[in-house]
Amino acid sequence: MEAKFTEAYPKAPDAAREAECGRVSDMLDLMIDGEASSEEQRFFNDHIEECVNCFENHQKQKLLKGLVSGHLKRVIVPQSLVRSIKARIQETL
Amino acid sequence: MSDQTGKQLSKEEKDARFEAELLPVLDPLYNFAYRLTLDEDDANDLVQETYLKAYRFFDYFEQGTNAKAWLFRILKNSFINEFRKKSKQPAKVDYSEVEGYYNTDDVEGEGGVATTTDMRTESVQDLIGDEVASALNALPVDFRTVIILCDLEGFTYEEMAKILDIPIGTVRSRLHRARNSLKEKLEKYAKSMGYNS
Repeated sequence: MEAKFTEAYPKAPDAAREAECGRVSDMLDLMIDGEASSEEQRFFNDHIEECVNCFENHQKQKLLKGLVSGHLKRVIVPQSLVRSIKARIQETL
Repeated sequence: MSDQTGKQLSKEEKDARFEAELLPVLDPLYNFAYRLTLDEDDANDLVQETYLKAYRFFDYFEQGTNAKAWLFRILKNSFINEFRKKSKQPAKVDYSEVEGYYNTDDVEGEGGVATTTDMRTESVQDLIGDEVASALNALPVDFRTVIILCDLEGFTYEEMAKILDIPIGTVRSRLHRARNSLKEKLEKYAKSMGYNS
Protein backbone atom coordinates (compact mmCIF):
# COMPACT_ATOMS: atom_id res chain seq x y z
CA MET A 1 0.00 0.00 0.00
CA GLU A 2 2.77 2.34 0.95
CA ALA A 3 4.64 1.71 -2.30
CA LYS A 4 1.66 2.58 -4.48
CA PHE A 5 1.06 5.77 -2.56
CA THR A 6 4.67 6.88 -2.99
CA GLU A 7 4.62 6.17 -6.72
CA ALA A 8 1.62 8.42 -7.16
CA TYR A 9 3.83 11.44 -6.53
CA PRO A 10 5.90 12.96 -9.31
CA LYS A 11 9.59 12.45 -8.79
CA ALA A 12 11.43 15.51 -7.55
CA PRO A 13 15.06 16.00 -8.58
CA ASP A 14 16.76 13.30 -6.53
CA ALA A 15 19.63 15.23 -4.99
CA ALA A 16 17.49 18.20 -3.94
CA ARG A 17 14.81 15.97 -2.53
CA GLU A 18 17.33 13.89 -0.63
CA ALA A 19 18.88 16.98 0.89
CA GLU A 20 15.44 18.18 2.00
CA CYS A 21 14.61 14.78 3.46
CA GLY A 22 17.90 14.82 5.34
CA ARG A 23 17.15 18.23 6.81
CA VAL A 24 13.64 17.17 7.77
CA SER A 25 14.96 14.00 9.37
CA ASP A 26 17.38 16.07 11.47
CA MET A 27 14.47 18.25 12.57
CA LEU A 28 12.18 15.44 13.77
CA ASP A 29 13.10 15.81 17.42
CA LEU A 30 12.88 19.60 17.31
CA MET A 31 9.40 19.32 15.88
CA ILE A 32 7.97 16.77 18.29
CA ASP A 33 9.55 18.57 21.24
CA GLY A 34 8.16 21.95 20.18
CA GLU A 35 11.66 23.41 19.81
CA ALA A 36 11.56 24.33 16.13
CA SER A 37 11.41 27.99 15.09
CA SER A 38 8.41 29.15 13.08
CA GLU A 39 10.52 29.19 9.92
CA GLU A 40 11.69 25.63 10.58
CA GLN A 41 8.11 24.55 11.24
CA ARG A 42 6.94 26.01 7.95
CA PHE A 43 9.72 24.26 6.02
CA PHE A 44 9.02 20.99 7.80
CA ASN A 45 5.26 21.06 7.31
CA ASP A 46 5.56 22.01 3.64
CA HIS A 47 7.90 19.09 3.08
CA ILE A 48 5.89 16.39 4.85
CA GLU A 49 2.79 17.40 2.92
CA GLU A 50 4.55 16.15 -0.17
CA CYS A 51 6.82 13.43 1.12
CA VAL A 52 5.18 10.28 2.39
CA ASN A 53 8.35 8.84 3.89
CA CYS A 54 9.07 11.91 5.98
CA PHE A 55 5.41 12.17 6.94
CA GLU A 56 5.51 8.62 8.24
CA ASN A 57 8.78 9.16 10.07
CA HIS A 58 7.20 12.13 11.79
CA GLN A 59 4.21 10.03 12.83
CA LYS A 60 6.50 7.33 14.23
CA GLN A 61 8.56 9.82 16.16
CA LYS A 62 5.42 11.34 17.69
CA LEU A 63 4.21 7.87 18.57
CA LEU A 64 7.49 7.08 20.31
CA LYS A 65 7.29 10.23 22.42
CA GLY A 66 3.65 9.44 23.18
CA LEU A 67 4.56 5.97 24.38
CA VAL A 68 6.80 7.45 27.06
CA SER A 69 4.63 10.42 28.00
CA GLY A 70 1.35 8.53 27.86
CA HIS A 71 2.14 4.99 28.94
CA LEU A 72 5.04 5.03 31.35
CA LYS A 73 3.53 4.53 34.76
CA ARG A 74 4.43 7.01 37.43
CA VAL A 75 5.61 5.56 40.70
CA ILE A 76 3.72 6.56 43.83
CA VAL A 77 5.65 8.63 46.32
CA PRO A 78 5.77 6.83 49.69
CA GLN A 79 3.63 8.69 52.20
CA SER A 80 6.42 8.72 54.75
CA LEU A 81 8.81 10.60 52.47
CA VAL A 82 7.62 14.14 53.24
CA ARG A 83 7.78 13.40 56.95
CA SER A 84 11.31 12.01 56.62
CA ILE A 85 12.45 15.04 54.66
CA LYS A 86 11.04 17.48 57.22
CA ALA A 87 12.48 15.47 60.11
CA ARG A 88 15.94 15.34 58.58
CA ILE A 89 15.88 19.07 57.90
CA GLN A 90 15.04 19.80 61.52
CA GLU A 91 17.87 17.49 62.64
CA THR A 92 20.45 19.41 60.64
CA LEU A 93 19.65 22.77 62.21
CA MET B 1 20.48 41.43 42.09
CA SER B 2 16.98 40.49 43.16
CA ASP B 3 14.89 42.03 45.89
CA GLN B 4 15.74 39.05 48.03
CA THR B 5 19.43 39.89 48.24
CA GLY B 6 20.56 40.94 51.65
CA LYS B 7 17.23 40.19 53.20
CA GLN B 8 17.70 37.55 55.84
CA LEU B 9 14.69 35.27 56.12
CA SER B 10 13.51 34.17 59.52
CA LYS B 11 13.42 30.42 60.03
CA GLU B 12 9.63 30.44 59.80
CA GLU B 13 9.71 32.37 56.53
CA LYS B 14 12.34 30.09 55.11
CA ASP B 15 10.44 26.95 56.09
CA ALA B 16 7.21 28.30 54.68
CA ARG B 17 8.81 29.24 51.37
CA PHE B 18 10.66 25.95 51.20
CA GLU B 19 7.42 24.05 51.65
CA ALA B 20 5.44 26.19 49.24
CA GLU B 21 7.98 26.28 46.44
CA LEU B 22 10.00 23.10 46.65
CA LEU B 23 7.80 20.39 48.15
CA PRO B 24 5.29 20.48 45.25
CA VAL B 25 8.10 19.10 43.06
CA LEU B 26 8.31 15.96 45.20
CA ASP B 27 6.32 13.74 42.86
CA PRO B 28 8.29 14.38 39.65
CA LEU B 29 11.53 14.41 41.63
CA TYR B 30 10.83 11.01 43.19
CA ASN B 31 9.87 9.61 39.80
CA PHE B 32 13.10 10.91 38.31
CA ALA B 33 15.11 9.40 41.17
CA TYR B 34 13.36 6.10 40.70
CA ARG B 35 14.03 6.05 36.96
CA LEU B 36 17.71 6.78 37.61
CA THR B 37 18.26 4.27 40.41
CA LEU B 38 15.57 1.71 39.53
CA ASP B 39 15.14 1.07 43.22
CA GLU B 40 12.56 2.53 45.61
CA ASP B 41 14.83 2.72 48.65
CA ASP B 42 17.62 4.33 46.68
CA ALA B 43 15.15 6.79 45.18
CA ASN B 44 13.98 7.61 48.69
CA ASP B 45 17.53 8.32 49.87
CA LEU B 46 18.37 10.35 46.80
CA VAL B 47 15.29 12.55 47.15
CA GLN B 48 15.93 13.15 50.86
CA GLU B 49 19.53 14.06 50.10
CA THR B 50 18.35 16.45 47.40
CA TYR B 51 15.92 18.26 49.69
CA LEU B 52 18.52 18.52 52.44
CA LYS B 53 20.93 20.18 50.04
CA ALA B 54 18.20 22.42 48.67
CA TYR B 55 17.37 23.54 52.20
CA ARG B 56 21.01 24.21 52.99
CA PHE B 57 21.42 26.30 49.85
CA PHE B 58 17.93 27.78 49.84
CA ASP B 59 19.30 31.32 50.28
CA TYR B 60 20.81 31.03 46.81
CA PHE B 61 17.50 30.10 45.27
CA GLU B 62 15.74 33.10 43.78
CA GLN B 63 12.04 33.12 44.45
CA GLY B 64 9.89 32.62 41.39
CA THR B 65 12.65 31.02 39.32
CA ASN B 66 12.44 27.46 38.07
CA ALA B 67 12.31 25.40 41.28
CA LYS B 68 11.73 22.17 39.42
CA ALA B 69 14.80 22.54 37.19
CA TRP B 70 16.89 23.58 40.21
CA LEU B 71 15.90 20.50 42.22
CA PHE B 72 16.38 18.18 39.27
CA ARG B 73 19.87 19.59 38.82
CA ILE B 74 20.74 19.01 42.48
CA LEU B 75 19.38 15.48 42.31
CA LYS B 76 21.27 14.67 39.13
CA ASN B 77 24.52 15.94 40.68
CA SER B 78 23.92 13.94 43.87
CA PHE B 79 23.29 10.86 41.80
CA ILE B 80 26.54 11.27 39.87
CA ASN B 81 28.76 12.42 42.73
CA GLU B 82 27.61 10.37 45.65
CA PHE B 83 25.16 7.74 44.77
CA ARG B 84 27.03 6.12 41.92
CA LYS B 85 30.18 6.03 44.04
CA LYS B 86 28.37 4.04 46.70
CA SER B 87 26.91 1.66 44.22
CA LYS B 88 29.23 -1.07 42.96
CA GLN B 89 27.60 -1.14 39.55
CA PRO B 90 27.67 2.41 38.21
CA ALA B 91 24.91 2.24 35.62
CA LYS B 92 22.60 -0.15 37.33
CA VAL B 93 20.42 -2.17 35.03
CA ASP B 94 17.91 -4.70 36.19
CA TYR B 95 19.05 -7.64 34.11
CA SER B 96 16.02 -9.71 34.86
CA GLU B 97 13.91 -7.06 33.14
CA VAL B 98 16.25 -6.96 30.17
CA GLU B 99 16.17 -10.72 29.96
CA GLY B 100 12.42 -10.76 30.13
CA TYR B 101 12.32 -8.24 27.37
CA TYR B 102 14.47 -10.25 24.99
CA ASN B 103 12.52 -13.39 25.73
CA THR B 104 9.22 -11.98 24.51
CA ASP B 105 9.75 -13.89 21.24
CA ASP B 106 9.38 -17.15 23.12
CA VAL B 107 6.21 -16.04 24.82
CA GLU B 108 4.64 -15.13 21.53
CA GLY B 109 5.22 -18.66 20.28
CA GLU B 110 2.60 -19.83 22.77
CA GLY B 111 -0.02 -17.92 20.82
CA GLY B 112 -3.04 -16.21 22.27
CA VAL B 113 -1.69 -12.88 23.39
CA ALA B 114 -1.24 -11.19 20.05
CA THR B 115 -4.45 -12.45 18.53
CA THR B 116 -6.88 -11.77 21.33
CA THR B 117 -5.69 -8.41 22.59
CA ASP B 118 -8.02 -5.45 22.51
CA MET B 119 -5.97 -2.25 22.57
CA ARG B 120 -8.58 -0.45 24.65
CA THR B 121 -8.52 -2.70 27.67
CA GLU B 122 -6.75 -1.55 30.76
CA SER B 123 -4.57 -4.64 30.91
CA VAL B 124 -3.22 -3.94 27.44
CA GLN B 125 -2.48 -0.37 28.43
CA ASP B 126 -0.62 -1.73 31.44
CA LEU B 127 1.24 -4.16 29.23
CA ILE B 128 2.37 -1.35 26.94
CA GLY B 129 3.45 0.68 29.96
CA ASP B 130 5.46 -2.27 31.27
CA GLU B 131 7.17 -2.76 27.94
CA VAL B 132 8.03 0.92 27.64
CA ALA B 133 9.46 0.79 31.16
CA SER B 134 11.52 -2.32 30.41
CA ALA B 135 12.89 -0.85 27.21
CA LEU B 136 13.68 2.44 28.93
CA ASN B 137 15.30 0.77 31.93
CA ALA B 138 17.56 -1.20 29.62
CA LEU B 139 19.03 2.00 28.19
CA PRO B 140 22.28 3.48 29.55
CA VAL B 141 21.51 5.94 32.32
CA ASP B 142 22.48 9.02 30.26
CA PHE B 143 20.02 8.05 27.54
CA ARG B 144 17.33 7.23 30.07
CA THR B 145 17.83 10.60 31.71
CA VAL B 146 17.26 12.75 28.61
CA ILE B 147 14.14 10.82 27.64
CA ILE B 148 12.66 11.18 31.12
CA LEU B 149 13.47 14.87 31.32
CA CYS B 150 12.07 15.60 27.88
CA ASP B 151 9.16 13.24 27.37
CA LEU B 152 7.95 12.60 30.89
CA GLU B 153 8.72 15.90 32.60
CA GLY B 154 8.46 18.20 29.61
CA PHE B 155 11.66 20.19 30.17
CA THR B 156 12.86 22.35 27.28
CA TYR B 157 16.26 21.71 25.70
CA GLU B 158 17.57 24.81 27.43
CA GLU B 159 16.40 23.61 30.85
CA MET B 160 17.86 20.17 30.16
CA ALA B 161 21.20 21.74 29.25
CA LYS B 162 21.22 23.52 32.62
CA ILE B 163 20.15 20.47 34.59
CA LEU B 164 22.75 18.26 32.93
CA ASP B 165 25.54 20.83 32.57
CA ILE B 166 25.97 20.16 28.88
CA PRO B 167 25.56 22.35 25.77
CA ILE B 168 22.19 22.36 23.99
CA GLY B 169 23.81 20.68 20.97
CA THR B 170 24.79 17.76 23.18
CA VAL B 171 21.25 17.59 24.59
CA ARG B 172 19.94 17.28 21.04
CA SER B 173 22.38 14.63 19.89
CA ARG B 174 22.02 12.61 23.08
CA LEU B 175 18.24 12.72 22.84
CA HIS B 176 18.44 11.65 19.22
CA ARG B 177 20.64 8.65 20.02
CA ALA B 178 18.55 7.77 23.05
CA ARG B 179 15.36 7.73 21.02
CA ASN B 180 16.92 5.60 18.30
CA SER B 181 17.98 3.12 20.91
CA LEU B 182 14.55 3.09 22.55
CA LYS B 183 12.89 2.73 19.17
CA GLU B 184 15.04 -0.27 18.34
CA LYS B 185 14.07 -2.00 21.57
CA LEU B 186 10.38 -1.25 21.20
CA GLU B 187 10.31 -2.32 17.55
CA LYS B 188 11.49 -5.76 18.59
CA TYR B 189 8.61 -5.88 21.01
CA ALA B 190 6.11 -4.60 18.43
CA LYS B 191 7.21 -7.33 16.03
CA SER B 192 6.82 -9.95 18.74
CA MET B 193 3.24 -8.72 19.19
CA GLY B 194 2.55 -9.09 15.50
CA TYR B 195 2.92 -5.46 14.46
CA ASN B 196 5.17 -4.49 11.64
CA SER B 197 7.00 -1.26 12.17
